[in-house]
Amino acid sequence: MIESSVMPARLEAFLAEHAGQRATVTGYEPMSGGYSRLMALATIQWADGSTEKMVLRGDPPPGKSMMDTDRATEWGLLSALGRADSIPMPAARYFDPTGDRLGTKCIVLDFVEGRSLQSHLNDCTDGNFGRHTFDLVDTMARVHSIDPNDVGDAIARPTDWESYISGLIDRFRQADRAHVESNPFLRYVAEWLDANKPAPLPLRIVHSDFQPANIMVTPDGSHRVIDWELTHIGDPREDLGYYAVYSASSGPSLIMSDPLAFLARYRERTGFGEDTINLGTLAYFSSLAAISVYAQILGGAAAMSRGLNSGIMTTYTINALTIGHANFMSACLAPSN
Amino acid sequence: MLSKPTTQQIILDCRRELLETIDPAVTDPAVKVAIQMLENVLRNCAERAAHEIAWMREESDLMMAFARDVRDALGSSTSLDAAIAAHQSGDNETLDLDAVSDSYGRAGECFSEALESVFAAGHDQLHLRGREILALRLAHEDAIKGDWGFVGRG
Repeated sequence: MIESSVMPARLEAFLAEHAGQRATVTGYEPMSGGYSRLMALATIQWADGSTEKMVLRGDPPPGKSMMDTDRATEWGLLSALGRADSIPMPAARYFDPTGDRLGTKCIVLDFVEGRSLQSHLNDCTDGNFGRHTFDLVDTMARVHSIDPNDVGDAIARPTDWESYISGLIDRFRQADRAHVESNPFLRYVAEWLDANKPAPLPLRIVHSDFQPANIMVTPDGSHRVIDWELTHIGDPREDLGYYAVYSASSGPSLIMSDPLAFLARYRERTGFGEDTINLGTLAYFSSLAAISVYAQILGGAAAMSRGLNSGIMTTYTINALTIGHANFMSACLAPSN
Repeated sequence: MLSKPTTQQIILDCRRELLETIDPAVTDPAVKVAIQMLENVLRNCAERAAHEIAWMREESDLMMAFARDVRDALGSSTSLDAAIAAHQSGDNETLDLDAVSDSYGRAGECFSEALESVFAAGHDQLHLRGREILALRLAHEDAIKGDWGFVGRG
């Protein structure tokens, strides 16, 4: 999918098959910035004379992926969110479910003009993030305000909060069992989380990799959320916790400079109460929410250990597991505290 | 064997070569990012090469002592007894890296089982001691990690 010498012809044939008119690919280049999937930017000239840019998002070659997620599930989710007009996002246009046409299972999306929010934040100086902090909160709240019915059966729907959270906690134990060596952090955290469950919230759409690199800012300043591959229905505080952890290790963090103001804005935008959205639940979910990405990275490390995976992305991201361990230990308070 | 320069020194010299010779000659942004990642992984490997056997042995001793003390204080459990027996029946002497790593994994399982027993019993003193061992493990991981962030994202 990243071979610029062969992809234009492949994409032209694919688009002719799916779009109902001939297309000429006038530009094709791999995109950097994403970790889990291959990305490329294509410039298309249609037979009717119009032009547009599209993004191709596909699976890396077998054995080269730092995490395994399902493109068909992602396509179903993106299509459902698009049909329901749930939230501003780049439209998912076409899908090669087998890789026969585009070289790998691949989703073709609209290109979003603009830069990522991470790129904007990198330009900010002296901790002055202007409107970006509340814009980020508002976008998170919009994700959590999506009606779960919008996605139909594209992703699984848990039956109730209690069993969902228990299952999520158990994923720590499952990750430990599936790994190539014992990891006492996982067993410790699972026990702690079981013993300290917070008050419940309604189950909602959870992006699961909510961070500024996955938010595109258009020229008018509005947000488009991208990279929905880990999205599921769960507790919306998972995204709050995940963002807190992620931004602490890959800043700048828009939450840690004034977490109370951040949480107050989130409560205002979602209607959730202070009994469920507070510093305590932020800490709790910063541990709990990390398991989705953590387990994927750990799985990649295990596959490498077994000789089933390779690549710099896998070895490099092993360091993120240590970030996770540090977060677990700071969030899971000792009994004397 | 030639033990000096040490493995740590050799790896760090490879890192220097990567940064000073290879990186300036590269213009492809994706390869630039890969070089930044390689630089980080080489630092990780250098630190591990210098300390990992000693660190795993140190932690293993602490984890096994904890597991036995938990069994003595809170009583036997099938799973903790089985984990301790599995550790004892394995090779805990050989200093080849694979053997030390396997032994460390068995000790970690004993430790995990012991932590679960401590939670079930609500034993705060043992809980705090378990956290101290986790803190040491984390300190070693942190030393290996060094400075780290998601390079190339955005």
